[in-house]
Amino acid sequence: MKKIIAAALFSLIPLAAHAEYEQVNLTVFGMDCAPCAHAIHVSMKGIQGVNTVDVDLNTGLVTIKLTPGNNASMRQFNEAVEKNGFTHKDADIVVKGRLTGTANAPVLEVSGTQDRYALSPTASGLDVASLIGKAVTVTGVLPQASKGKVSDTLRYKTITEAR
Amino acid sequence: MKSLVVLACAFALPGIAMAADHGPVFSYATPVNSQRELSFDTGIFGRGGSLGTQLSTGSSFGYGLTPHLTINAFLPATFGSGSLPESRIMPGSEWSAGASWRFLHSVTSVGKRIESTASLGVVVPGPQQDSGVLSSLHRAPGVAGSLATGLASRSQYLWAGLGYTRFAEASEDRRPDTVSWSGVYGYRPAKLRRGYDQWDYRGFAELTGEHTGSVLKSGVTLPNSSTTTVWLGPSVLAIFKVVAISGGVQAPIFRDASDSIYGREHIRFALNFSYLKYSSHTSSH
Repeated sequence: MKKIIAAALFSLIPLAAHAEYEQVNLTVFGMDCAPCAHAIHVSMKGIQGVNTVDVDLNTGLVTIKLTPGNNASMRQFNEAVEKNGFTHKDADIVVKGRLTGTANAPVLEVSGTQDRYALSPTASGLDVASLIGKAVTVTGVLPQASKGKVSDTLRYKTITEAR
Repeated sequence: MKSLVVLACAFALPGIAMAADHGPVFSYATPVNSQRELSFDTGIFGRGGSLGTQLSTGSSFGYGLTPHLTINAFLPATFGSGSLPESRIMPGSEWSAGASWRFLHSVTSVGKRIESTASLGVVVPGPQQDSGVLSSLHRAPGVAGSLATGLASRSQYLWAGLGYTRFAEASEDRRPDTVSWSGVYGYRPAKLRRGYDQWDYRGFAELTGEHTGSVLKSGVTLPNSSTTTVWLGPSVLAIFKVVAISGGVQAPIFRDASDSIYGREHIRFALNFSYLKYSSHTSSH
């Protein structure tokens, strides 16, 4: 019985602590036609953990929703854009990770992906001191990075303790 | 030595700048394949003249090595004979292979980009003979290069292109050098700027021109064998995800060619079908 309880608890730990992207809204420049969008759709769907992809040609917005427990990284999303000959701009993301660093210099670690961001608030009055060391869910903007790179700073809008 | 140069060019770089699967059907354009994208084109191209109609059908294969470099090959077959001048805008009986390099790619806003593509390739005689004065020539490979530049956007397209083909000499015969040029304007009406899961249509006005040099036969330049023609006409491109169909027709607006050597060409038409196979391959972390 103890073994069963231990196994059940052990299986819950990684679920609770799993760091991952939940949604990525990526703006893409240069797509003029339906095959461009279809190529992006195919490339994004090829990333393990991607659940749904929607591409709006008129706004250039690529909306990616991911399945729980995924290990997809931002670099993979950016590569999917670059390989089709387009340019990625800012990305609005919802991401779960562990908050480390200090209250003045908080860092978000998306452990499953090795992505790591210095957090910068988009507005004053956001206090993260009480969340240091905890699993958090962050919404924010990843600024455009040059080809092959991912921004190391995440400008966050909200940060809450992950459930 | 010439053959070595030709082979070196073939393996170094491409050939066919006509981007029927993403753009106009007659003109030079800039689009290239995505990385690992495989494209297959097949179509029928016709040239009608006073001495008959010449049809070409062929298959073209393209593969994106990188997001900006595509290799391609074109294997045509011809039917009928029209005793028509050399043309590089309209496919003939030559097989070709090469690569296209999009060396300028400037993305300015959502849905809009400015780009330039250079192509270089080899043209080799296929198993079929040409008709008319060209049929009596010993044939040799040639080198074809082109440059296209322009703008693509959600509403409008504008491309200009220039190509040059030079054939080697064989037994003192040589096919004429060809300078080709094109200008194309495309438009997608507001009502057709829809989602990618619906058919995507756009229309083009295509202006193309060609100047062919003199035919060299047994070491002698054939008098009045040089030609210049300019063509204008509409074309339409329809795409649904991985399938594209394009068609167009052109009429001559200027013609300077000897009627005693060539048939009087009065119409060109094309119908092309494309299949695009995109790669879903992505790297791991």
